[in-house]
Amino acid sequence: MKKVLIIGNGISGMMCAIRCAELGMKVKLIAPGPSEQSQSVMAAGGINAVTESHEEGDSVQCHIEDTLKGGAYLAGSNAVKGLCSDAKEIIHYLERIGTVFSVDEHDRVLLRAFGGQTFKRTHYCGSSTGKHIVSALVMEVRRFEAAGFITRIMRHHFYSALISDGRCCGALFYNEDARELVPVYADALVMATGGQNSLFGKTTGSSRCDGYAVGRLFMQGAALKNLEFIQFHPTTLQTPQKRMLISEAVRGEGGRLFYMDGGQKVFFMEDKYGPGGNLMTRDLISREIVATGRDVFLDISFMDRKAIDSRLPEVRDICAKYRGIDISKEPIPVAPSVHYFMGGLAVHNDHETNITGLYAVGECASIYHGANRLGGNSLLSAMHSGKVAAENIYGKDLCEHADFDNYILAEQESLKKMLGAKSPFAAMHIRDMLSDTMREHMSIVRTAESLSKGVEDVRYYLSVAERIHYDASVSAYINYSLNGILTLALAALTCADARKESRGAHYRSDYPATLDEYRAATIISYNDGDMQVTFDRENVYED
Amino acid sequence: MKIRILRQKVPDSEPYWESFNYDGTTEISVAGILDRLNFGDDIINDLGEKTDRIGWEYSCLQGMCGACAMVINETPALACETFLKNLKGDEVVLRPLRKFPVVHDLIVDRSVIHETLKSTNVYIGEYNPKEKEDHEHQYAVANCLKCGLCLEVCPNYTDGKSFYGAAYANDCYLVKARNREKAGDIRRSYAEHFANSCSKALSCMEVCPMHIPTLSSMAKMNRIIHSGK
Repeated sequence: MKKVLIIGNGISGMMCAIRCAELGMKVKLIAPGPSEQSQSVMAAGGINAVTESHEEGDSVQCHIEDTLKGGAYLAGSNAVKGLCSDAKEIIHYLERIGTVFSVDEHDRVLLRAFGGQTFKRTHYCGSSTGKHIVSALVMEVRRFEAAGFITRIMRHHFYSALISDGRCCGALFYNEDARELVPVYADALVMATGGQNSLFGKTTGSSRCDGYAVGRLFMQGAALKNLEFIQFHPTTLQTPQKRMLISEAVRGEGGRLFYMDGGQKVFFMEDKYGPGGNLMTRDLISREIVATGRDVFLDISFMDRKAIDSRLPEVRDICAKYRGIDISKEPIPVAPSVHYFMGGLAVHNDHETNITGLYAVGECASIYHGANRLGGNSLLSAMHSGKVAAENIYGKDLCEHADFDNYILAEQESLKKMLGAKSPFAAMHIRDMLSDTMREHMSIVRTAESLSKGVEDVRYYLSVAERIHYDASVSAYINYSLNGILTLALAALTCADARKESRGAHYRSDYPATLDEYRAATIISYNDGDMQVTFDRENVYED
Repeated sequence: MKIRILRQKVPDSEPYWESFNYDGTTEISVAGILDRLNFGDDIINDLGEKTDRIGWEYSCLQGMCGACAMVINETPALACETFLKNLKGDEVVLRPLRKFPVVHDLIVDRSVIHETLKSTNVYIGEYNPKEKEDHEHQYAVANCLKCGLCLEVCPNYTDGKSFYGAAYANDCYLVKARNREKAGDIRRSYAEHFANSCSKALSCMEVCPMHIPTLSSMAKMNRIIHSGK
């Protein structure tokens, strides 16, 4: 019986675990906390699928074309075809396991549309689709736990993969309770660790998605892809604890963006793009907000209070609760913020990386979204990728395991040494400096000069990080994860510098045009401290 | 303002109180305060001594994941949704949830919630609803964060060895609603681990951050118990 190790228990990790179990494989599902605390629960919007309830004229082909176009033609067409073709079955599966999708008074499924969609095809569960999918999958995982096919392990943090001769055989974890490194061997390792939020400090997402696992695997030989493509959401609200997403629905309901100039409101989007200016794409609005160089506000206060209560209750509550703002009386101060990472571990269509036995699913894998992600496609890709990885692991001929005893002993000694030493440098402080650098130099509008300053900063942090032995005031994980996170940041800056064009979510003011020669995914690899960027013009990862 | 925290280095060490000064805005949540105290090169207590950063769990920081559940001024609540401006007095007292083993500072081990659900087979299996079920109530119940606040406040819940509390009752309802074949088994489990010992204090509903109408789940479960007899 094959043994599969899955790291991360959000939607993609759980879906992969369930499918593995259905196929008779034994799964270890490992994460620091329970699935209810994964970032998946925060996905509000919905999940795209062309089902029996589709709008007239819509088709799977149309969903495919919207997805490819939204991704500025960098995503592989075969992968996207697989994703969109599977969507109907995914919705039916989710219904069968008890996901409570929103329906009308006649029990007909309700659909909505996000930017870039030709038709309404987004299925949703009120304002918390991700949470409801998680709740349903948790029950299904529990079924296979009871049957002995899935074992959940918590309070374990990924440390490194067990890789020998290009073959992955499991991973090392830091066990918080025992405070030591423990190996877990498996026939296949599936990463489901989410995005890279912590590179940018506080974002709209979970603070637990920090990119360390991707950074560490990169240092161990895994190729990364499209790291420069980071989706910024134009309207987020700063609060003392994080940036809160202010839904596109506000602009959909007529919300107007403006800044103040000499006591006058300047509706800059409408002035430049006409009456529909506030409904332009996320990237464009984000860039225009940055270009104002001012404090920008989103105004919906002209809307009737009752209409706000019925159509925008979540936005009303977030503003009132976290900032004391009554949106029926005053405008919302907004600014763009990091929202989703299109880049991550480079995977083939079967979700295997360039390392045999090492797979990636969900947001930490880069495959379906190209240069930008369509709203409603992230939950779909999380579900689909988990299934695809499981099915490919099942059909794969797996080789013998290598001996990792010496590697494990060396890493255990190295960590023990780190935990036993004191350092004058605070690991948290370096993380904070990194997020300042990334927000400044890897932001919405990039230039060679700015990116080069970012590279310089991160190289300095890396040199400091090497001198850090242990910051005893924070967890062991915060300490040992620093190097991997910094290396990932450096890789992202390097990719952004290499792509000398503007495409999708990557905008270079020094190279504003989209160029045919760059119509290929960015691949970056690591070899003993050196990073090499190539463009996948042969479509190696699209087979 | 003083922030007084019951701290504990490791699971088997003695807890101790430590206080911190805070003089910022009151338009901030307890999560925001903890973040500010931890931010910076060093963390200093109210005696001016350098100390360890405060351990607490968080993920979404907007009331959707339940990670930051703790006891705030003797009331179980989510730190990210409890605001200074709404707290009385000039001191904020934070302690870890008392019904769960402490791991470190304000971090507790809530795995018992999941273990009880697993050990009593609270899963749907084959989707096979008996009749058209209450869609709205299922939606409300599926919002459960498994944060443990309902168990912390419950007068009947102690350590999860026999009485499993509201989080359990609500998941039982979801299974009953979706698979009639399992209704009998779930009914027995629900009676043994919830209904027979619940004193209907309903404090669970008062503290639930998702406002789950547990009483309604109980009514629906009781209905099936009675009709099933």
